[in-house]
Amino acid sequence: MKRLLDVQNLNISFSGYGRTQQVLHDISFCVNEGEQVSLIGETGSGKSVTAKAILGTLPANATIDSGSIGFEGMDLFNLSKPDRERLKGTAFSIIMQDPLSSFNPVFRIGTHLDDVMRHADRRQGIPDSAKGRKSRIFETLRKVQLSDPERIFNAWPFELSGGMRQRVLIALALLHQPQLLIADEPGTALDVTTQYEILRLIKSLVVEDGLSLLMITHNLGVVRQTADRVLVMQHGHMVEQGPLQRVFSAPESDYTKSLMAAVPPLYGPNVTNQPVSDKAPIITLTDVQKIYKKRGLFTQGEGHLAVDGINITVNEGEIFGLAGESGSGKTTVARMIMDLLEPTSGTVTVSGTPSENALRLSQIVYQNPGTSLNPKRSVQQILDVPLKHMGYDKPKRRARMEELLTLVRLPVNFLSKYPHELSGGQKQRVAIARALAAEPKIIVLDEPTSALDVSVQRTVMDLLLELRDSLGLTYVIISHDLSLMRNFCSRIAIMFKSRIVEAGTPEEVFRTAKHPYTRALISAIPVISDAEEAQKPTVTDEERSQFLVANTGS
Amino acid sequence: MALRLLETILRRLLSVLLVLFVLSLMIFTLARIVPGDPARMVLGPSATQEQVAELRTEMGLDQPILTQYVTYVGKAVHGDLGQSIVTNRPVSRDIAEFLPATLELVLVTIIIVLLIAVPLGVLTARHRNTWIDNVGRFFSLVGVTIPSFLFAVGLQLVAANFFPSWPILGRVDYQLNAPDGPTGLLLIDSLMSGRMDVFADASQHILFPALALAMSGIGQITRITRSAMIENQRRDHALTLRSFGVPEKVVTFKYLLKLSSVAPLTIMGLEFASMIGNAFVVEMVFGWGGFASYGLTAILQKDLNALMAVVLISGLFFIFANLVIDIVVGLIDPRLRLRGGTA
Repeated sequence: MKRLLDVQNLNISFSGYGRTQQVLHDISFCVNEGEQVSLIGETGSGKSVTAKAILGTLPANATIDSGSIGFEGMDLFNLSKPDRERLKGTAFSIIMQDPLSSFNPVFRIGTHLDDVMRHADRRQGIPDSAKGRKSRIFETLRKVQLSDPERIFNAWPFELSGGMRQRVLIALALLHQPQLLIADEPGTALDVTTQYEILRLIKSLVVEDGLSLLMITHNLGVVRQTADRVLVMQHGHMVEQGPLQRVFSAPESDYTKSLMAAVPPLYGPNVTNQPVSDKAPIITLTDVQKIYKKRGLFTQGEGHLAVDGINITVNEGEIFGLAGESGSGKTTVARMIMDLLEPTSGTVTVSGTPSENALRLSQIVYQNPGTSLNPKRSVQQILDVPLKHMGYDKPKRRARMEELLTLVRLPVNFLSKYPHELSGGQKQRVAIARALAAEPKIIVLDEPTSALDVSVQRTVMDLLLELRDSLGLTYVIISHDLSLMRNFCSRIAIMFKSRIVEAGTPEEVFRTAKHPYTRALISAIPVISDAEEAQKPTVTDEERSQFLVANTGS
Repeated sequence: MALRLLETILRRLLSVLLVLFVLSLMIFTLARIVPGDPARMVLGPSATQEQVAELRTEMGLDQPILTQYVTYVGKAVHGDLGQSIVTNRPVSRDIAEFLPATLELVLVTIIIVLLIAVPLGVLTARHRNTWIDNVGRFFSLVGVTIPSFLFAVGLQLVAANFFPSWPILGRVDYQLNAPDGPTGLLLIDSLMSGRMDVFADASQHILFPALALAMSGIGQITRITRSAMIENQRRDHALTLRSFGVPEKVVTFKYLLKLSSVAPLTIMGLEFASMIGNAFVVEMVFGWGGFASYGLTAILQKDLNALMAVVLISGLFFIFANLVIDIVVGLIDPRLRLRGGTA
């Protein structure tokens, strides 16, 4: 097999604020023609830097200290600038990660596509007419299963769904039929069913056209679906590489082993079943409906039906999971439980008395601790706010803060730290401490781990379980990540288009899902073993297509 | 889309009426309760009490303020803004004569601000933290901090010392017999009637006052353009284009510039208010004889009708300018136009 990409002993460092930090240490790997390779790593592992080094889009403060990248026998670092530029988008290209932010919002989709094609054509020395380019672009759009290229071409980015935009990003990478496709976590920002479709599409395109694929991801389930060979990176070092089968069945490095262990299983002996609570109900929703009214000068808006016919009972001490994709109404339900929104009709009852000084029964932990903590305030100042509301005096607040940090397993000296000094997991612990400060009985967890790496995810979830036992809390967790819910929730409900379509214990739902949407959702979860894959519920393409209409533009 | 735009405009027109009502009531009352009797100002210190009282009755000043206001509004909606006690002519005629001069000055100022500030903002953003950026930063600071009348006087000094033939007073050389109308904007009228000599002369006249007026706007808009460019150039969408080898020039001047122009344009609308305020002083320094100098005389002489008209028309222009900018911004950013609300 011919070697296409050959990275040898690559060392790269970043400098800034007078410091130099090495981010890649002696990275060596290759991608052969027609091969599909996955590069696995968590935040800060250097996987994106590696991709940028290949593409030639390293930021200005990056220095290539030593090493080489060969592409079809050419040494990329020794090419002249125009020669290097000529390769972009034509010899290799990238599928960008985040479809929502990868288009300039004030230009039409077609403008992006046309400019990329026009300049690549020009560098190749084969300019095409505007009409010629357009027909080539349409052809590529059809190839990524966008059935109405005319509409896509003329659409503004915000008019397309995330899945459609991700398809356009794939089309962008395929405009000049490159030999090597680099995919940077494609679809991770999207719903799981959409992500599944995107991965299937990439895989089929790669196989059909005989392309080579370098997939960058942190999701081991995605790796199992798409890779022949696996590279594992940690802190800028290559810790393991080998064929998929070998790495997954007998990982050599401790890091790979811990990564595998941190993936929540869906089926099999390692699955945890949380006991169902038989205590008194603490949250009861009866026939809840919520309509968001629109206000207009001419239009007496009929409003948007966010949730409808919701009946939920959560018993004390339970971990209730509300699963669904974006727009399904799960956040609206959570807000009504928090008493932040009034239902349009139906009743929301939260029973129980708040503890002595607390104003309310429930608190919330948000999805992204990077944005839910004020970057200009220290941990002490962050925790001070709820404690002041509790009416504590200064020494008591201080004592309580130390207690809270101990509860979430952070050292007491973290009080003086600012959010940017903390890792993602540590920040989420602070956010949990803040929620606990007001002594709630119920904590609403809004995608509590989706911004975190898998290994960190696990430790945060373990912490939450312990806190529930020691403090007698009840959790309502909102998430689209069913694999997390499988092991963490005592009961789950699946929401689809404003309604609950399935409910029960996770075990029941995963074994005997009735609604096709639930089955599509579960089958879309990337798993890491064939044994689990075999136990997933089946869903026909016809059923699946019912839920994916919006992503292909037909 | 058309419906949304129409809705925006209608909504805005309703708010214009409200603003005009509050503004007019405020100024009307304020002007009448501050010390100083307009009738006495007109007649001078030698007039008798009876003469003053007679004029007060004639001007309607003896009536309750509310009655006076209702009478004023009743006439104003029919285009009668009353008599000026300084020029002894209908205020509407004065405005028609003086307004175009100021309008011309402000329009040229806006053009100068955009022509200088936007490229400078892009340049300093591209060369962030280099000497180019520092020089740009220094000039922005100077522009924002130094009051415009100082620039006005300074420019006159420069002209007087180094370019003695450069005109520093008035709008145009009177010997040229400049065309009168149809727009009242000399630069446009002279072009329309093919008088290139007048056009050249008027351009010379307007350059320095407009420059003095533009300085603070240049300072602000440069900084805002710079930070918008810097903010946007590290976004994913810029990275996308770079990854596919779209030249940096296209990324900057096509993609980033359009996206980054929304913020400076919005600020431009607000800047309009301070520009009108500064025009009051700059026009005096350059003997511009526009609407602002007319307003200044009205304030000093307690010319109530003229004052009302000046304030209301300034307010109207401010609102109108911002409406235009909202429409332009809506044309630039489809999210505002098609979806409503900020993205």
